[in-house]
Amino acid sequence: MDNLILRAKELLENKTVQVVIGYEAGPTGVVRPAFISDPANADSLIYDERCVQNLAVYLTKPEVKHLGRIAIVSSLPVMRSIMMLISEQQISYDEIVVLGISADGVLLDIADLSVMQGYIDKSDLSNPVKYKELLAELKKLTPAEKFEYWQKELSKCIKCYACRQACPMCYCTRCTVEVNQPQWISVQSNAHGNMEWHILRAMHLAGRCISCGECGRACPVGIPCHLLTMHLTDQVYNYFKVYAGTSEKMNSVMSTYEPNDKESFIV
Amino acid sequence: MARIGVFVCHCGENISATVDCGKVAETIGNLKHVAYSTEYKYMCSDPGQTLIKDAIKEHNLTGVVVSACSPRMHEPTFRKACAEGGLNPFLCEMANLREHCSWVHEKNELTTEKAIDIVRTQVEKVKLNSALQPIKVPVTKTAMVIGGGIAGIQSALDIANTGHKVIMIERSPSIGGHMSQLSETFPTLDCSQCILTPRMVEVAQHPNITLYTYAEVESVEGFIGNFKVKVRKKAKSLDEKACTGCGLCTTKCPQKKIPNEFEQGMGMRPAIYVPFPQAVPNRPVIDRENCTYYIKGKCKICEIVCPTKAIRFDQPDEILELEIGAIVVATGFDIKHADFFPEYGHGRYKDIIDGLQFERLASASGPTAGVIKRPSDGEIPKNIVFIACAGSRDPAKGIAYCSKICCMYTAKHAMLYKHKVHEGKAHVFYMDIRSGGKNYDEFVRRAIEEDHVNYIRGRVSTVFERDGKLIVKGVDTLLGAQQVEIVADMVVLATAGVASSGAEDLAQKLHVSYDSHKFFAEAHPKLKPVETNTAGIFLAGACQNPKDIPDAVSQASGAAVKVAALFSQSELTREPLVAIVNRTSPPTYSTCVGCFMCQSVCPYQAIEREEFKARDGKVVKTVAKINEGLCQGCGTCVALCRSKSIDLLGYSNTQVYAEVVALLNEY
Repeated sequence: MDNLILRAKELLENKTVQVVIGYEAGPTGVVRPAFISDPANADSLIYDERCVQNLAVYLTKPEVKHLGRIAIVSSLPVMRSIMMLISEQQISYDEIVVLGISADGVLLDIADLSVMQGYIDKSDLSNPVKYKELLAELKKLTPAEKFEYWQKELSKCIKCYACRQACPMCYCTRCTVEVNQPQWISVQSNAHGNMEWHILRAMHLAGRCISCGECGRACPVGIPCHLLTMHLTDQVYNYFKVYAGTSEKMNSVMSTYEPNDKESFIV
Repeated sequence: MARIGVFVCHCGENISATVDCGKVAETIGNLKHVAYSTEYKYMCSDPGQTLIKDAIKEHNLTGVVVSACSPRMHEPTFRKACAEGGLNPFLCEMANLREHCSWVHEKNELTTEKAIDIVRTQVEKVKLNSALQPIKVPVTKTAMVIGGGIAGIQSALDIANTGHKVIMIERSPSIGGHMSQLSETFPTLDCSQCILTPRMVEVAQHPNITLYTYAEVESVEGFIGNFKVKVRKKAKSLDEKACTGCGLCTTKCPQKKIPNEFEQGMGMRPAIYVPFPQAVPNRPVIDRENCTYYIKGKCKICEIVCPTKAIRFDQPDEILELEIGAIVVATGFDIKHADFFPEYGHGRYKDIIDGLQFERLASASGPTAGVIKRPSDGEIPKNIVFIACAGSRDPAKGIAYCSKICCMYTAKHAMLYKHKVHEGKAHVFYMDIRSGGKNYDEFVRRAIEEDHVNYIRGRVSTVFERDGKLIVKGVDTLLGAQQVEIVADMVVLATAGVASSGAEDLAQKLHVSYDSHKFFAEAHPKLKPVETNTAGIFLAGACQNPKDIPDAVSQASGAAVKVAALFSQSELTREPLVAIVNRTSPPTYSTCVGCFMCQSVCPYQAIEREEFKARDGKVVKTVAKINEGLCQGCGTCVALCRSKSIDLLGYSNTQVYAEVVALLNEY
């Protein structure tokens, strides 16, 4: 990871960026996000298989934006998140420097947006293999079994909204669940309200989820809520042949209409 | 404290036959905040409206629920009544007891219960209604007429004669449309060109009309009274001001073998051409696809012979940006050609022609100078068969509708043939004779009785060639389905009228709906036949469905009146039921995060961007803003907005929520 550290130092020293967002190991060895603004601290940056958090989640936070120009350590999901955030006008590529990391952990030279585009274009964008099997198994269930499965899983939800906080696409300053005039989504953690929240979250991410799986990983009670959004990713691809986060100019499938769109899902 | 008045209408017996209106009024009257509740036989009648007006004053009502029919027809009636009673018209709601309850259920207690529930939801909703003010938008008093056929011409002249400016766009080099191709017109047999060309000239000379031929609509933005239309003026390769229309270039052009569109392929034209002698404007265009210069890079004979040096080979297309207040769509129709009919040889037989080709054969200015000669060898046919409903009324061919004009023009064709070839025999195969219209049936009877046209009621199964003759095999259903075989010299198919090519594309540019056959859709089949569902865009002529000339002209005048009515006001008043993006105090400005998905989903391009700037001019936040002139209040953006930052006035989140909660709660 010497290359990453050298590059981070260089960017900070020549003041190209004011902060580098990456990963570091905490005192107990747990990997955590690092916000490095002093070149001297860049040595603490690491990148290995433990570094899974989607760092793009910080790019839209006002307190992070205020730090100045940002360099961000970016695996494929982070790059796709960045693409998505640009397409939804939440960030501009000028505000960031992408420190791309390939699947095998090598620092990529992402000189500009088109290079990142090229890297994304030649990557496999379908759901990660480790989730594909789970999804396939869930698909085998009958609708009644599926409903029972999700009712059981969602009954565990404590409405902590960690799934929302971990997701780079959940950047609204005021989430629907915080709207109380009227209170469409109940605040309490109960069977009804939990279902409402998770269906709502999945629908808000339909066609926008970049399949990083962070929502499920962040869940403190182990609800595989990432499978909901990933299933929608599959569905969107089946119907419209697009994956989220593949172009800075992409329009969400949920908000666009083409005369030749398939309508086979309309009952 | 809300004081709601509820007015339950019997709608004659439409509601009271299955719903106990008295019980509805009584039960609702006991609800909290309902200050007055009553029933009446016809709420929309004058006494019914007076009842509402008086109750507003007497009971000091803060909201009104009229429990009657669908709001489509009478919401404006009751809103107006409320306004006259001194209440803001948007504090009036309608509970639809007729379509949503009485018409769809039988008479019993449950039906009445449901009626009560429907009224309850509206009572809860109206409590949260706010007094809205109508929106005013300015009007650009210039109309655009798209299409220069008879409908477009009539509309343009009528609008121009009211003193307003009109811009006419025609995609071909001349106006005139299909009517200019016709020989004679039914039911009077007067010459089509003779009545049309004066109108064409009038368009060209009218001080209020600007004519752009060889031009097409590129894009349309904006809204009623304020459209911004981009028009592509295709390069004619000609300086129109320098050209005198002498026609020398068209006679000298070496390329002479291009099928003439005006003659329906039955004549040839050069690459630089005027579509027909009476064309308006009478100036040639160069058909670049077929011009030797554009294909091979040399020739330029037209440039050499042109006495005024008007040819411009390097002329580019020109894009005009026009400000338009109203649009009349008059793009007309096309017809199916003989190649659409495998059973009649797929267009392989030269002597099977379509109706429009027959018009050219019969026309004095046509390729045969009005002599009916068959295309294959120029012989005058002695036996001619007309097949009506070729394609029309044939669901198997995908065209279930009646093309409307064919019965009449087939009678005319047969008659014209008999007038020109006295010894010839004319046969007409028909399904039904549809000759509704002033002097129409008399005209058909004349063809049968005076001109002895042989009408055979039945369809034709096949037409094939044997020994240079066309064998027409059909059936006579009036003679017990007896098979009929006619040996003919020529067959004329009254082919189905279909939507004009490019109609779908134009409809999408205009954001106007169209039917499965790509004909433009009217806003209401009976009561708004001239309007589209996009305000400020009107329909004239056969772009809506096949029509004869009188129908097209009447509708064109109707559309012109709609435009004139629109232009009679300096400002338009719109219903304020529009979406609104919330605003909060700085530094958030709005809960909108500016993802602008609403912008792409909006079917009316009503969503704009608003920037909030700091004192140094730096943009702090960009959020969505609704253009209330454009918004139609469909609510799609409201449904899509993830942060619930958009609300629909008159149908706000809180109102809809109150309705749902009212249904869930006991009363």
